[in-house]
Formats: sequence, C-alpha cells, structure tokens
Amino acid sequence: MSDKLEAYLEEISHFLSGRAEREEILSEIRSHIMEKAAEGPGEFTDAAIEKAIAAFGPARKVAEKYLDHSRPIIDPAYKRYLFRYTTLLFAFHTLLTVVAVVFKEDFILFPFLFMPRLGVIEALMYLPTAFLADLGIVTVVLYFITQSGKDVRLPWPKLGVDLDEVKPPKKSFWVSRIATAVGAVIMLAITDFALYLFAKHQAIIFANLDWTNPRPLFTPGAGRRISLIIIAGFAVATLNLLIKLFTSSRWVDVVDDVISLGLIGLLLTQSFDNLFAVRIAENILPKIRFAAKFMLLFIALMTTIELIKNIVFISRRKLKLPN
Amino acid sequence: MTDKAQNEPNIGSLETEMNRGFLHILVLALLEKDMYGYSMVKHIETLGYKVEENTLYPLLRRLEKNGWIASKWDLTEDRPRKFYAITREGRTLRAALLDVWKNQNRVLDEIIKEISHV
Repeated sequence: MSDKLEAYLEEISHFLSGRAEREEILSEIRSHIMEKAAEGPGEFTDAAIEKAIAAFGPARKVAEKYLDHSRPIIDPAYKRYLFRYTTLLFAFHTLLTVVAVVFKEDFILFPFLFMPRLGVIEALMYLPTAFLADLGIVTVVLYFITQSGKDVRLPWPKLGVDLDEVKPPKKSFWVSRIATAVGAVIMLAITDFALYLFAKHQAIIFANLDWTNPRPLFTPGAGRRISLIIIAGFAVATLNLLIKLFTSSRWVDVVDDVISLGLIGLLLTQSFDNLFAVRIAENILPKIRFAAKFMLLFIALMTTIELIKNIVFISRRKLKLPN
Repeated sequence: MTDKAQNEPNIGSLETEMNRGFLHILVLALLEKDMYGYSMVKHIETLGYKVEENTLYPLLRRLEKNGWIASKWDLTEDRPRKFYAITREGRTLRAALLDVWKNQNRVLDEIIKEISHV
C-alpha cells in the first residue's frame, strides 16, 4: 500500500477527528483512489496514486465536504451577538475591576467571576485575561444555543455608543492627512518643550509661572518620575500621529492605548508621601489624592473603552464577509 | 477587492450551487442499478457531464444517512468496493424531486419564450 495514500488518508482523518464513521469514509476514499490509479495507462505505480490523490483534492477541502452540512460551532446569525454580549460583559467586568481597586474588595460569582483584591498594575494585567474569559463565556453560551437547534430569540441590548457603528473617519484623504500632520507637529513641539524643561529643571510641572525662577511642584525624586512618565505619554501620542501619516491601521491605536494604560498605571502607583515640594494644608491632601486617583482611573476607563472599540473594529473588519 | 470585481458573476461558485440539487436527482436516478462510487463517476463522464469526486462521496453519505439509498461492501473482487442502491423512500423522493425539476424547467421555458417575443 502506498505510503503517500496512507499519509493522505491520515491527514483527512485529522480533520474528521471525532466522527464515528471516519474509518468508513477513509475506506471508501482509499477504494476510490486505488480504483482510479489502477485504471490509468501503464502499471499500478506510486505516480498513478499521486495523480489520483491530486484529482481527489487537498485533504482539508475533502474533509470540509463531509462536514459541510454539519451544525456550525456558533450559528453565523449569532456573530454580532458574540461581540455585543462580550462587550457588555467586559464593560461590567472592567467596572468591577475599578471597584475592586478603589475599595480593595474581591468578588466571587462562581463559576463565572472571581476577582481578587487588586492593585492598579495587577488590575491592568488582569483586564486582558478578563476579556478572554468573557469572550469564552459568551462563546460557550452561544455554542450550546446553536447545538440545541432551537430558534432562540436573544435580546439585543442597545448601547449608548454603538460599537457596530464604529467606522473609519470619512474625511477626505488630504484633509485627514493634513489634520494628522498638524497634530503631529503640535505634539512634537509639546514633547520637545517638555524635554527642554526636564533637561533644564529635572521637572515639567511647576508651582509658579516665573520662568526665571520656576519652583517645581513635586519633590525631586517623585518629580523626575512623574515628568518622565508624562513625557513618555507625549512621545507615544506623537509617534502615533507620525505613524498615522503612513498607515490608517487601527493596530497603531491599540498599541497606543496599551502603552497609555501602562503609563497611567505607573502614575497610579506613585506614593503621596513627600510628593509635594510646596506646602499643602493637611486637610486638603486627602481630597487632592482622591481627585488625582479618580481622574487617572477615569482616563484609564476611557482609554480602555477606546481600546475595546479598536479591537472590536479590527475583529469585525476581519470577520465582516466571507468571500 | 473593488466593488466592480465583487459584482462580476462567478460562474464557478454559482454552478456549484446549482449542482447541489441536480446531483441529488442524478445520483438517485443512477442508482436504480447497483453502482459503486468510481463507476458512477465514470458513467456520468460518458454522458458528457463531470462530477467532482470529493463532492460525490459526501453526498452519497448524506443520502444514505437519510435512508434514501443503502450500501454494502463487496469484498469478493481484488479490491473492496462499496455498492449503493436506491431504497423505496429514495424512489419516492426521486419522483418528488423530478416533479420540482420539471416544473422549474417549464417555468424557465415559459420565461425564455416571453423574452424571445419581446
């Protein structure tokens, strides 16, 4: 028996894996190929078998024909539901994550949700895992609905910001490019100016507006750290705009959002002890701390929403239409 | 891909769609006599039509699952062959499908006649 034929049948078998009748299918294909190879001119050779295999088609295509009429893993009609439900579940998950960080609480809703008490950096590390878990839960639910074969009418919740309507900007090519170029120049100037201030004073945030004798708002160590994080944020935004002069890929925004979230996380870890270089009343300090954390968490939430929108947009474009 | 390219008719895929129904009738008609897969492919070729081998076998499998044809392995020859034959239910289905097909042909003929008189 030809090794090539057995290898071909084994390859088909991989794709049919799990099907009880696959041995029967393979026996019939084997019989067909042997029959065809024996009928050609000349002797029964490996070359004749190879020719018969080639005529039968690639293993995956052959297997697909057998699976063509089987039930899909998720009904194509539920494709939009997969994104909508995952988005909602992840939004809820993100909200709970923020609550877990702010109030230092953990949540358990076995087996769907376990969220330990998290620090800011841990929370940022946790969110991508949460997204995959949410996607998995929705997938499993839609899988069982599909396999039940019943006509289930699922609710279609409307969102304030409808992610389905996320579309690329419709500005003309040149208007869009000029706006991006102007933005890049402005951001480049801001980044350069911040770098100049940092090189001269080791800080970019000051308590007064006296250019001849500026007084840094933060103590030297904390001031350097915060300034460098902010300068990194400016640099990322500048790079984003510069790259967008050459490509409209949403992946650029995804990378920008992820780095921004990391930088916000670094800012959130900044201790308030010995932070300010200027005297601040003791009773105001907790309010400043709360306001700063709230603002940073709000920015993180907005950045996360942007990140989800960009990922959903990329995924929807990839799955938009079969050829 | 441009809109123009997307709108151009793809005869290949449309033909595949049309063949789906036709192949059912063809196979049910052929199997009035016991045949095995390869002999069916060859016989269809002699009639001036071509059926993809990797389409025929899955179709035979589906027809058998539904009880419209039955199969048995013949191990008496040099090579094992799986022979198929139409069942009573298969004959009933074939008659119904032929009625549908004839009616579709009639409708198309009528329309073509109407077009030719315009």
